[in-house]
Formats: sequence, C-alpha cells, structure tokens
Amino acid sequence: MTPRTLALGALAAAALGVAVAFPAFAGGYYVRLATGIYMFGALASAWNLVGGYTGYPDFGGAAFLGIGAYTTGILMLRAHLPFAAALGAGGALAVLAAVGMGTLLLRLRGHYFAIATLGFMLVLRQVAANLPITGGGSGMNLPIASAFTPFYYWMLGAVVLGALGGALLPRSRAGYAIAAIRENQDAAQVLGIEPLPYKILAYASNALLFGAVGGIYAYWFTFIDPPTVFNIDFSIQAVVMTLLGGPGTALGPVAGAIILKILDTILTNISLFLHNVFFGALVCVLIIFAPRGLAEVLRRRGGIVRAIRTELEDSRV
Amino acid sequence: MPLLDAGAVTKLFGRLVAVDRVDLAIDAGEIVGLIGPNGAGKTTLVNLITGIEPPTSGTLVFDGTTLAGLRPAAIARLGIARTFQIAQPFRNMTVRQNVAVPALFRANPAAGVGQALGEAGAILETVGLGPKREFSARALTTPDLRRLELAKALALRPRLLLLDEVMAGLTPAEVDAEIAMLRRVNAQGITLLVIEHVLRAVMGLSHRVVVLHHGRKIADGPPARVVEDPGVIAAYLGNRRPAGRSG
Repeated sequence: MTPRTLALGALAAAALGVAVAFPAFAGGYYVRLATGIYMFGALASAWNLVGGYTGYPDFGGAAFLGIGAYTTGILMLRAHLPFAAALGAGGALAVLAAVGMGTLLLRLRGHYFAIATLGFMLVLRQVAANLPITGGGSGMNLPIASAFTPFYYWMLGAVVLGALGGALLPRSRAGYAIAAIRENQDAAQVLGIEPLPYKILAYASNALLFGAVGGIYAYWFTFIDPPTVFNIDFSIQAVVMTLLGGPGTALGPVAGAIILKILDTILTNISLFLHNVFFGALVCVLIIFAPRGLAEVLRRRGGIVRAIRTELEDSRV
Repeated sequence: MPLLDAGAVTKLFGRLVAVDRVDLAIDAGEIVGLIGPNGAGKTTLVNLITGIEPPTSGTLVFDGTTLAGLRPAAIARLGIARTFQIAQPFRNMTVRQNVAVPALFRANPAAGVGQALGEAGAILETVGLGPKREFSARALTTPDLRRLELAKALALRPRLLLLDEVMAGLTPAEVDAEIAMLRRVNAQGITLLVIEHVLRAVMGLSHRVVVLHHGRKIADGPPARVVEDPGVIAAYLGNRRPAGRSG
C-alpha cells in the first residue's frame, strides 16, 4: 500500500460516508438526482469493464438492463416474489445471457462486435414487445414501493460495486489477462492466456451491473416497456461518461457520471435545445483533446494546456 | 527422443505451398538456426509450431505431446515460447507489467501479481532493461522492444524458445551482445530455434543450421557444411550453373 493508495482509500471512504448520510439532510429532489447519478455511475463503471479495460466496444448493455428489468418485474408481478429475490434473479439471468451471447459475440473484434451487441439488444426489444408475459408493447406496471429512499441505497450499492470492480480488477491476475488481451490479443495468447474466458468474465460482470440497475430502475419507476429499457441511450451515456472520466481507470466512469449528470440537469433547466448541442460538442472535444479522459489529462504534468498542445502536435503527423 | 519432432509438416495457403513436407527434429539443449530467403516459410513454420495456424498435414510432437488441435495458449503452457519478428508489446502497460503477464499464465504460474512483478524485475535485469522497468512499453526504442520480447518469452520459463529475427536492424555491436545473451539463455537449459537473416549471427551461434527454400528443407547440418552447400548458395545467390542438391 503506497501512501497514495491509502489517501485515495481514505477519500473514497469519506465520500461513501457522506453518500450514506446524504438522504438524512438532503431534500427529495436531490436524493432523486443523486440516485440517477449513481445509476449512471454504475452503468458507466460496468461499461468500463468491457469497453475500457477489455477494449471491446459494447453498445448492447441495454440488453442486460432490459433482462434485469423484465425479470424483476415479471417475478414481482406474476410470482409475487419480494424485490430483493426478484432483483437477484434478474442479475443472474443477465449474467447467464451474457455468458451465452459472449461466447458467440466476443470472437468478433472492433466494429463487428459493436454492431453485433447492438443487434442483440434490438432483437430482445422485439421479443419483449411480442411476448404475452411481458405485457408486450403496452408495457408493465410494477407494484408501487412504499418508500423511495431505499432506491437511493440500492443504486449506491450498484455504483460502489462497479467502482470496486474497477479498482480491484487491474490489480488482479484476471486484470492482467484482460489488459494483455486489450493491448494485443495475439501476443497474449502465445504467453499462455486463453482469451475467451477472460473476455466473458468482463462481459458478464458488465451484464450483472446492467441487469441489477435494470431491476432497481424498474421498481423505482414502476413502469417499463420495451423502448424504455431496451434503449441504446443507456449505453451511449455510459460510453460518454467513461470517455469523459477516463476509460480503464477505477473512478473515471463514476467521476464522468457525476459531472455529466449535473451538467445535464443544469443545461436541461436552461434550454433543452442547448442540452442536445452540448452533448454532441462534448463528444467531439473529448475525442480530439482527451481520448483517454480527464484522468489522463490530470495525470500529465503541465496540466490541461500542455495536454491540449501535445494532442495538437500528435495529430499533426 | 527429440524435444520437438516435426514430421512432413505442410501448410497450404490456397494453392501456395508455404511449408512443404518439412521434417525437423530438435534435441533438448540444442541451438538450431533456421535460415532461408524471404518467403521461404520460416515464420509460417514458427506459426505452425506455436499453434497460431494449424498445419494442413504432418505431425508436430513436443516432448511426447502431439500439438495438433492445441490452441496457442495451451502450447505456450507446455513450454514453447516465441518472439515476434515485429515486436508485439502491450503498449499501454509498463515494461515490468508486460513481463509479469507470462509469469502469471505459464504452467506453474507465480502465486500472485506481486510475485510476478518481482520476478519480472529480475528477468529485466538479465536482459538489460532493469533501469527502464517502469517505462511505458510504448516509450521503448526498437532494440529495447526486442529485449522486452525476449524477457516476456523467458518469463514463460520455456523449454523451447523460437526467436523470429531478433537481430534484424541491430548494429554489429548489438548483434554481438545479443549472441552472448542467447548463449547465456541456452546455458540455462533452454533449447533455441533461431530464425535469422543475419547469417553471421546464425553461423556463430548455432550448433546446427536448417535451410528452407520455397517451403522445403534444402539443408540441415553443421554451419560450416551448410554454407558450402551448392543448393544453399544457389537459393541465396541464384544459379550460375545448374545447382546440385545435397543434404
């Protein structure tokens, strides 16, 4: 443990303490806003495992969010299971689906993988829209919860799980395999790494978080239908937040979610039009000036100005 | 029994015969040089041995284990390491992390990341990269990248090490240093198959030299005899008179 790790750990513990106490002194609006931030922090952390650490551009995370949401909804509504049990089943089913689909899709690379994951998600949306058990296109109403503060803690749990995964992975044996696969899969193989199981591990961890968030989201919003949960917007936001904070870093995605959700809320209040332009512009700026996120910009000596200058010089080749 | 025994190994790419019924036996402890003009099938042969590509026909046996159908990772864990002609570093990892990867995934892996990193540091000292161990791999020069390739291969604790043109692009002084290093590696009991264009290096280092030409083995013997072989001279320099075949 270096002093830096200890300091970071202490900071994280303090932040967690504040987060746990937050609903006791903040109003309902802010608790709801924080719940949303945690939700996207968890999704971004999850995407980071596949898109950041493993380098597989996944755009189908909503497939697992939808599986989690519908499993939770169906089990609560039709089997009258308690929320926690239904949520557990939703997460488990998302993991199972990820292992199955991952076995097929994770053989693809680059754009092909991205398109295939998106396709998988859209297929599930059609399936959900046409099955009787899901309520089809008219959606499904879940039982209404008696209190809403618990959702804050469920989402907090999800984001802590995601951040913990992101922090522990690079220090583990599996993390070394995943980094080697991202950097150079052929070289990784001749050094004894069988890539597919490790890619599936990352993909299934991502699915567990997306599925769990889906289940919590369903009970929190009490209504789900295919376009709301099987929605590519979840993936896109997770991607932008991760890129903003720093792909392949432990806390980057969470930082990205906090910054973006707060900006999003402020801008939406000012002008809905401005808010849309802003996101497009932000993505362009990030890709040009900070393709490895704010974490990398902060890490470089000389700060942001120097980083921008380096990027401009690099792109002149 | 040889450590590696290749019998009539053949690889077709469409109608192109890249490797043509090559027999190759390498004994434990040997340093075998593999030479041949561009396109002779040297790298393809290495790819077949390491499982990157399956042979079209023929047999490959390593220490009693048939390699047919084994994936590259499984072959690596049996104890066959290779370096690539073009260095394949994990660019966004540190030099030491690069070397820790094989230490974590070989047959008897390091107990944990900490131990693997410690071991990687020791290996980096032996190849002369000790001072650069915390560098990002992307910051290394070409000769340093070659050293990193070797360090990664050694961290796999191989019994057979296939070196694909580790000396290309090095200065004569660097070649001499590399030869000395490979001799030390061999002295640790690691069998070497050295694929090389730099003839001086192969001739000085190898106990035995194998020559491939158009995918076929045209010579196999001590370096001094192979360089005199008219078939080998013809393959490298072209024919002045109809060349005989020997060996």
